[in-house]
Amino acid sequence: MSLKEVFEQNPNRRYIMFGGKGGLGKTTFSAATAYWLAKQGHRVLVFSVDPQASLSDIFKKDIFGKGAVEIMPNLYAQEIDADKRIKEYQEEIRQKIRDMYGMEEIPEEIENYIQAAAAEPAMEESAIFDEVVDIVVGGEYDYYIYDLVPLGHALYYLSMASVYDEWIDKITKLREEMAEYGQVAAVMQRSKETEEDKILKELMEIKYRINTSSSILTDKQKTAFFFVVIPEEMIILDTQKAAGLFAKFDVPLSGYIVNRVIPKELGEQDIPEYLRNRLAMQDTYLTKIDKTFGQEVLARIPEFERDITGLPMIERVAEVMFGGGA
Amino acid sequence: MGDEEKKPGFMDGVKSVLYGMAGHDMARYALKTRGSMEHLFILITMGDLLGIPILPPYYSLRLLPYVVPQISTWKRRMLRERDLTDALA
Repeated sequence: MSLKEVFEQNPNRRYIMFGGKGGLGKTTFSAATAYWLAKQGHRVLVFSVDPQASLSDIFKKDIFGKGAVEIMPNLYAQEIDADKRIKEYQEEIRQKIRDMYGMEEIPEEIENYIQAAAAEPAMEESAIFDEVVDIVVGGEYDYYIYDLVPLGHALYYLSMASVYDEWIDKITKLREEMAEYGQVAAVMQRSKETEEDKILKELMEIKYRINTSSSILTDKQKTAFFFVVIPEEMIILDTQKAAGLFAKFDVPLSGYIVNRVIPKELGEQDIPEYLRNRLAMQDTYLTKIDKTFGQEVLARIPEFERDITGLPMIERVAEVMFGGGA
Repeated sequence: MGDEEKKPGFMDGVKSVLYGMAGHDMARYALKTRGSMEHLFILITMGDLLGIPILPPYYSLRLLPYVVPQISTWKRRMLRERDLTDALA
């Protein structure tokens, strides 16, 4: 099956993700797929969940932290500025405390906590994770293309969702028990109904946000997850491992795309020994890829003569990925 | 709320006495348990405040505003020394 057929046969899959090790071409394929879909007349948003995003580079346009920016008709790109998001979030919390208790200044102890929390290493990922909910729930686009983080992070991102979920379940239960005790006391003392538990409400909201974000990643109907590999031994092994882990988290794997394939025709020309060896090696690993992933290999993308930046180059990649006449 | 508040009658007095005899202790117990749970809750969500990071802080920040008043009593309780009289309380 070709990549084009996969898209045509599954029009419900509106969330498209490319995963793989760093530097293999996830951003390139995200951009090219977004380009192709936009040319087909769909409204597309490609956004990065990577704190070190590179969409700005590939589109040759500074979009960092600027919301969804129109690249061409139907094609929008967004890079989340996690730092900015965290700062705004901290300020929201401060404002809420000021409003709730009529305070002029935040107590030192509380302020310290707010600042310390923001310095946690998981904070950036969590902030991006949370922002994705706002992006996706908006529902303004036909397709959402996630330019994912490298594998390790992506797995962290996925496991975080399930850990968060369990955590929230536990404390929600605790909170509910607390409400019961409060009610018992209220009944005994024949006082009015206990005050509605605002924390419980907040917990429900948190749970909703986490579930929205993580359920998309594991939705077989609506999500397509593609792995990017290159014909090199280590990459093949790592990808196999990662695919196993992703399957454990119920991520719907839709296929593999082989990138950086040196054109075979070169072998017919007069080329140096060095390149000839590379070609022979590549052959071995291409066979291995076909053996390992079989029917799920959807496309082979050649190594281009220059790097992929700017729309004309993205268009060329899209043509190879989906066939001409887009 | 146009009605004037009713003067407590004889039956109300009886109810109060009965509550004092039977219900008060139970209500006190329920409230005390709830208080302990409140502190447990803050420990799980705001553990970082004591230097015990328990889980990612992004969402615990969302809960912070609601527990601001309890934080100082909670910290005192968590960090104070215990002795035999605690068992009697």
